[in-house]
Amino acid sequence: MSARKQGDGQPEDGGATAGKRLKIAKFSEDPEKKGLSRRLKDAEISLPIVYGTIAFYLGRKASESQSHKWTVYVRGATNEDLSAVIKRVVFQLHPSFNNPTRVMEAPPFELSECGWGEFEIAISLFFHPDVCDKQLDLYHHLKLYPEDESGPQSTKKPVVVESYDEIVFPDPSEAFYARVQNNPAVIVPRMPAGFNISAPAPENTSERERGDTKDHPLSQWFMNFSEADELLKLAAARQQPFMEMIYEN
Amino acid sequence: MDAKDILGLPKNQLPIPQEKKSRPPKEPQRKPDGISREVYALTGGLAPLMPSVDVSQLKRRPPSDEKVTWQWLPFTNSARKDDLQLFHWVRVVNGVPPTGDYAFAKYNKSANIIKYTDEEYEKYLTDPAWTKEETDQLFDLCERFDLRFIVIADRFPSSRTVEELKDRYYSVSRALLSARAPPADITGHPLVKPYNISQEVERKRALSMVLSQTKQQERKDTEVLAEAKRITESRMAAKGPEESELPAVANIGPDNSQRAITGDAVTPSTAMPSSAIAASSTLMADNASTLASLRMLRVYLRTYALDQMVQAASASAGLRTIKRVEQTLQELGVNLKPKVPTKAVCAEHLELRKEILTLLNLQKQLQYKEAEGTSFQDSPYSETPGTPKRAPRGDQDRPFMPDPLGFGGDRFGKRDQKRKAPGRTSEAAQSPSQSKRPRKMKASDI
Repeated sequence: MSARKQGDGQPEDGGATAGKRLKIAKFSEDPEKKGLSRRLKDAEISLPIVYGTIAFYLGRKASESQSHKWTVYVRGATNEDLSAVIKRVVFQLHPSFNNPTRVMEAPPFELSECGWGEFEIAISLFFHPDVCDKQLDLYHHLKLYPEDESGPQSTKKPVVVESYDEIVFPDPSEAFYARVQNNPAVIVPRMPAGFNISAPAPENTSERERGDTKDHPLSQWFMNFSEADELLKLAAARQQPFMEMIYEN
Repeated sequence: MDAKDILGLPKNQLPIPQEKKSRPPKEPQRKPDGISREVYALTGGLAPLMPSVDVSQLKRRPPSDEKVTWQWLPFTNSARKDDLQLFHWVRVVNGVPPTGDYAFAKYNKSANIIKYTDEEYEKYLTDPAWTKEETDQLFDLCERFDLRFIVIADRFPSSRTVEELKDRYYSVSRALLSARAPPADITGHPLVKPYNISQEVERKRALSMVLSQTKQQERKDTEVLAEAKRITESRMAAKGPEESELPAVANIGPDNSQRAITGDAVTPSTAMPSSAIAASSTLMADNASTLASLRMLRVYLRTYALDQMVQAASASAGLRTIKRVEQTLQELGVNLKPKVPTKAVCAEHLELRKEILTLLNLQKQLQYKEAEGTSFQDSPYSETPGTPKRAPRGDQDRPFMPDPLGFGGDRFGKRDQKRKAPGRTSEAAQSPSQSKRPRKMKASDI
């Protein structure tokens, strides 16, 4: 690991232009390792995700121990396929469940269960080796009962709790960048002109199963996260007249 | 005695001092035997650690076989060019006057400057700016005045600056030396060191500028230097986590937001009062260190990153201030934690928080100054407030003149109580020099 941080900082000819930083490891001429150890310094790749739960009340089919059917999932914020970055997702459920550790190796990364109780679900994301060797843990509280307690619960309207977040990979490896530079799910930094890393040959999409959630059965319940709203509110707040007092003095 | 302890010497002393080196320093009560008490007291009661005169010599009488008289005799001085004969007292031993030159003649040293012949001048020393006459005059003056260039410059017939004269002298000497001696010999010679005339002129000009700076100029300079130091320090802190020396790519990565924050923080900081400047530079340093620690993680959530930055930014604020910041955020209709934490949103959120923090700090300072001002009103002999605060309200600009009379009339400032509250703050807001006037009047009245 430390070898990556050491480096000459010398740009390699062909592809690397001045003003860009590349760390070249002192050891290993192995091309695979080279791709891993060369990192894009002062760049970050971010992956916007949404994770949460949707819970349906079972109504007539409900029993004491199984009153709700709920699904916990991790999806791309724009419903794109995350499998280019995420290798697998592990959901850790309440110990009262059978096999509380559920592993999802393929998209869509979700899990459905029936139960009666609310608890905290631990979601661990594991990434591909060229992305990151450390896992990332998220926590989500499963909500079954709606805020509004009046009246019987509807079986048609689920309780949806979603959280938007972005996974940031600082100093990503070149191989990672090459792989995802054209991936719609990933936010990639703009590189200066002349910076070319050839993308690997595209996989045969028809053979692979679709991993995106655009046509997911539950997609009608997905929340809309609009960045624009938040930005507008913030900008308006900063321009409040009394805020300008700090510039007056 | 402390000195003896330091020297590590035995406490009981030797009655008679031995040689100079082994002689211990005496206590003030005990006088040395070699000299009389009054003379010893002249030294302040404590002998020097290393006496300049050997005390044993003082009591020594001249050997009895010598017969000494003092005679008024003439003498000559070899240092003089004329044959002037002067008289002085001479110690004559056994009728034999002392021989030898006048004792002070050996101090008559002069600088040895090189003389050149006319041919040498033609060959090596011609210079467009200098005529031969001038060069001759220069060298003559140098010899007369022992290379005291200030004097030479005064005496020089045509007006030349000291630096020009120096330059000419040194270059001529150097040329002569290198012409006369083989090149290997002269490297040790002091004259070979070049005299850089332009640098000297610059240096003297700068010196005179520094000397003639007014007080105000000095203050301004120290302020600007301190500011520059702070900025470079924070830039160094920001540069610390970066590991490479090449300039970064312009528009990507956390560096972008970092630079943007730096840029934004620098421009308003020139407008804000000095306390806020210190605050913003420490904020930039905090930012840099959080960014560095975030980079250490291979992966992190942006909400986590935002939390870290918010914490770093509010590290200097107390819990109460943080609560007030959050309250202000809510009043503005902004979520405490952004619902859609994208990069842009997080950056804006952070900026907003920082601005609110600054705002609250300034408001607090304003309150403090007002409180100080009012306490000053109550007891006129207390300290004047430090910096005058500028009142943001323009309608309080009444002239201060009527008030000194009111002050002088009533020592305990009872009239203050009758004045309206805004009036009091405006008086405190005026410059302290004006408020000093009533005090001076009182002092003279008494």
